[in-house]
Amino acid sequence: MEWLYIVCISLAGVVMLIMTIIIPYGVFMRYVVNSPASWPEPAGILLMVLFSFIGGAAAYRAKAHIAVATLLNMVNDANRVRLERTADVGMGIIAVFMIKWGVQLVDAVWYNTIAEFPDLSAGVTYIPIPVAGVVTLLFCIERLWLGDPPATSFTFRDQPQLD
Amino acid sequence: MDALLLLFAFLIFMFLGIPVAYAMGLATLVTALWIDIPLEAIMLKISDGMDDFALLTIPFFVLAGAIMSEGGVARRLVDLAKVFVGFIRGGLALVNVLASTLFGCLSGSSVADTASIGSVMIPEMVRNGYSKVFATNVTICGSVQAILVPPSHNSIIYSIATGGTVSIAALFMAGVFPGLLFGACLIGLVLWTARKKGFPAGRVVPLREALKIALDAVWGMMTIVIILGGILSGAFTAVESGAVACVYALFCTVVIYKEYKWRDMPKLVHRVTKTVAMVMMVIGFAAGFGYLMAIMQLPAKATALFLSMTDNKYVMLMLINVLLLLLGTFMDMAPMILICTPIMLPVVKAMGVDPVHFGMIMLLNLGIGLITPPVGPTLFVGCAIGKVTMEEVSRELWPFYGAMCVALLIVTYFPGLSLWLPRVLGY
Repeated sequence: MEWLYIVCISLAGVVMLIMTIIIPYGVFMRYVVNSPASWPEPAGILLMVLFSFIGGAAAYRAKAHIAVATLLNMVNDANRVRLERTADVGMGIIAVFMIKWGVQLVDAVWYNTIAEFPDLSAGVTYIPIPVAGVVTLLFCIERLWLGDPPATSFTFRDQPQLD
Repeated sequence: MDALLLLFAFLIFMFLGIPVAYAMGLATLVTALWIDIPLEAIMLKISDGMDDFALLTIPFFVLAGAIMSEGGVARRLVDLAKVFVGFIRGGLALVNVLASTLFGCLSGSSVADTASIGSVMIPEMVRNGYSKVFATNVTICGSVQAILVPPSHNSIIYSIATGGTVSIAALFMAGVFPGLLFGACLIGLVLWTARKKGFPAGRVVPLREALKIALDAVWGMMTIVIILGGILSGAFTAVESGAVACVYALFCTVVIYKEYKWRDMPKLVHRVTKTVAMVMMVIGFAAGFGYLMAIMQLPAKATALFLSMTDNKYVMLMLINVLLLLLGTFMDMAPMILICTPIMLPVVKAMGVDPVHFGMIMLLNLGIGLITPPVGPTLFVGCAIGKVTMEEVSRELWPFYGAMCVALLIVTYFPGLSLWLPRVLGY
């Protein structure tokens, strides 16, 4: 699943950088060119949804999500593993929820269009939800089957030198 | 009964170790099935929670802070702080607090502040005879200022949690004096400790050298001018100021300081993406959670419950302070803000407390929770940098908690401290 993580985190990272470029572009067009562009704001929102769901799924594999480990730290190793596996099953359930009802949401609004982008289906806004659900489910299965990614994984190669 | 199911399901899932965002989602799912709410509606609410232009502020400020943090700005701010307070007894500890104030104005994050200032200041303080534990404690407590002063990420999350009824600009302005008061309380404690323990004083920086340091640091400090100047003048929205701050942070650290290397960018983007996406998922699932809370009239019920305990505003604020301090010890800030705001804000509003003022109370309470075991992200980062254990740090944190509680009480019972500046500026 290493490749899937790399694809997801790279996609989310690139999307974040695009957002960082298009918003100042809107400011530039408004103040310098004196020709305000209307698309950066709605495009930013669309990209934000994509960034959040895909990046959120990648963050799950990287164990970057906020979690409360109080109970896990109080029990012995065997029970800790059981609790962790239970939590992974819980994550699998929420992933299935995202897939099933995410697809329904996309389907329900597919023939509507986004006001600012008349050629784009409103369903595009919600596509990241089922996609993130599938990715999260795959990472869940990976964790239940193989355990956490190794310390050498790309997942953890993001820390700067602190010295 | 239904409300209890939602809350208990959330607590059970959370203590099982399911990430807080997904625990909220799962609790929402279970309760929605129980009370027969269409799951399409829940899914739509979760998506709508992220479908807000104001949310773009978060990745932009986190990214700008991360670039500043790695691009040599923190070291320059430490040098600048030395000019002002380095020559006083206990000067390095004072420098640490002041540098945190300055860096907090750029990063808006307590953890980023601890990592940046701590990696410069803790080793230097230890070399000059301060204990590792004291140096770590000063660093982590000083970093709480970043929670209050603009551009605090948590102010943005609070604004979102109020449904956008409180403006980000008003919260940014409201945080200025509470942040400075917090720093002043810590400085008072440091001065007292320095006298008691005989900490050394640093050297007086000669005027020519001081000017050179100030000129060097001013480029980094321009970021806050861009952010606040842009918002206050009406030239930029908060989102635009965040994005422009990112571009300027890159320009400043790559072109002017020449310390940030492009080859470090992928790692930085990787880290920021994980952090921000995690926060966004919390915000999205909290929207679904909040929707169910609203359907079950949980905020109204909580208001009635709180008001049945006391009708005295000051007693109520004290109760809320104690509750938030306790809750803040075992959960991170973002989810706490998103869960507690819809429940507590109606209570305090019913008693005539301004939502902006309450925002400052909540941020300060939860900020103290960031450095309190068992769950304290800033505490963990500080311990890792200071190479000390959480137990060692916790044993000597009590005087700091005292100073922080003094600041908390003043912020709680003197609303003018938070509200004066936003009112003067017309927010």
